[in-house]
Amino acid sequence: MTAVTGTVTLETPTATRPRPRGGGLAAVATLARRRFAISARTPRELLIPLLAPLLFAMVVVPALADTFGTPVGGVDYMTFVAVATIGLLVPLSTIQSGLGVVVDRLGGGLRDLLAAPISRPMIVAGNLVVAVALAGLQVAVLLGAAAIRGAEYDLSASGVLWFAGATLAFTVAMYGIAEVLANRLPSQEEYIAALPAVAIVPFFFAGSFFPISALPAGLTVVGKLLPITHVLALVRYGIAGDNGAGLHDIWGMSNPTAMASLSLGVVALFAVALTAAAIRTFQRTAVR
Amino acid sequence: MTTATLVHTVVCMTTNHSSAIRVEALAKTYPGGIEAVKGIDFAVPPGEVFGLLGPNGAGKSTTVGMLTTTIAPTSGRAHVAGFDVARQPIAARGASAVVFQEPVVDRSLTGRRNLDVHARLWGLDTAAAKRRIAAVVDPFGLGEVIDRPVDSYSGGQRRRLEIARALISEPQVLFLDEPTVGLDPRFRFELVDLIAGLRARSGMTILLTTHYLDEAEQLCDRVAIVHRGRVVALDSPAALLAHMGRELVELRVDGDVSTAVTSLRGRGLAGDDAFAVGATLHVPVHDRPAHEAAASIAEVGLPVTAITSRPPTLDDVYLQLTGEPIAA
Repeated sequence: MTAVTGTVTLETPTATRPRPRGGGLAAVATLARRRFAISARTPRELLIPLLAPLLFAMVVVPALADTFGTPVGGVDYMTFVAVATIGLLVPLSTIQSGLGVVVDRLGGGLRDLLAAPISRPMIVAGNLVVAVALAGLQVAVLLGAAAIRGAEYDLSASGVLWFAGATLAFTVAMYGIAEVLANRLPSQEEYIAALPAVAIVPFFFAGSFFPISALPAGLTVVGKLLPITHVLALVRYGIAGDNGAGLHDIWGMSNPTAMASLSLGVVALFAVALTAAAIRTFQRTAVR
Repeated sequence: MTTATLVHTVVCMTTNHSSAIRVEALAKTYPGGIEAVKGIDFAVPPGEVFGLLGPNGAGKSTTVGMLTTTIAPTSGRAHVAGFDVARQPIAARGASAVVFQEPVVDRSLTGRRNLDVHARLWGLDTAAAKRRIAAVVDPFGLGEVIDRPVDSYSGGQRRRLEIARALISEPQVLFLDEPTVGLDPRFRFELVDLIAGLRARSGMTILLTTHYLDEAEQLCDRVAIVHRGRVVALDSPAALLAHMGRELVELRVDGDVSTAVTSLRGRGLAGDDAFAVGATLHVPVHDRPAHEAAASIAEVGLPVTAITSRPPTLDDVYLQLTGEPIAA
């Protein structure tokens, strides 16, 4: 047992400590480093969200392609579904990141962060930065694995930008949902129980396996309202070379760039709204 | 004038703008109508160690929560280091640090990482953070464990880490919310010793909440006894003890305590300050030796199984002020 010895050297306190250069950005960087360190020490945040999508992209999708696969919108079925697996991976990844927020709240260091001389939305921002980084890493791994199994990408600078913009906005939006749930639900168990409804069910109505035009008419309307539907259409337009077939199913227009802009706007709107909701929820629930 | 009114009046008279902590009519009602704090007032001058004493649910932690801006007051005002906690919360947080009642650490991170995160959020640059971490690690006995995940710490080590973390930013005001609760006696003694050492620091104000009255007596310049959301007494431990008289006679009563105290009061052997804890009646003795008082009480013929006398302690003050009044 180590005894407490000696005296603590303390300097004369100052009325207000000058903030380091960068202020808010420095605080977000500190919070993001903290969150990343916690994630790195709990690899479940990195690995578990990857398991199902990887299995899906490397085993299930090739099997489906071999069994039923016919090209969709000029894209081979393997690529069509493998790219769409992002719509499963990103929600799983962000929900997993949100679990860290629940742990922070129930038994971690959140209260010390709340007592820190920083604007509290920065705490959400720090978490968001890491959630986006982890999701980006996982998406890259998924695309690489799908390519190994036969997915073929049609890469161009503008296409990659559409893809990246859609994936980023979708990740931000989904993390907003995760943060709201993490702050509102009282326990980890209840948070985990919400996962299927948030992360999995929408995937099946978003044109993941087939164009949304193949859905019953009522469900097609539902599909068009889901941000994930716009995301899948955008990522296929961006890197799968479907020439905007998925976007056309949503908007019914002929100009792919215009349709892509509209869909990206929809996803960005969701991202902004859900981030605002996340910050509002955090501030309301963190301070009693 | 009630005790609470008297406390309010005295505090308002002594409150001034140079206080390190100033609380005026601060109240908190939680959703559902639970009134945790019912309009308390106190002021703590710079450099003072101030104790908040009270039973569970008295409102101590809620008060600390409002002062650290982690709980929103329902009404009233509070200033920390001159900053209004409602209007200037970031500045108030920047001038203070808190050790919470329950463990608040990132368990998967090392102790050093926990300290570093705190240092950086409180505005220290890399070099200053390293210097401050080095300055607190050894005095707090954390040298051997500082690079291990906090998960592997004992309860005492984790508590020391939390106190070290609070000192990293060299706060003007330090809040310690029951810092020794749940620790074994050795660690508790060490921490009390360590907190006593912090008093040597010029200008640092400490607000301490505790159940342990010996701690309060040892550490605090003044204490406020909080009961059901109100401050019912506020003074130095010595002054509070002085109100209890020179000695205290304890009677273990085999029967109704109220009847016994009524009988003693009727004979002038007990005053309004007599109080009961369970079946034991405590009678402060102000004007004569305790053995004389005990002998007089014994002659009354009450159903008493034991009579002892002893000097009063802060425990007695606490029990008297936070117990149920005995009907006369």
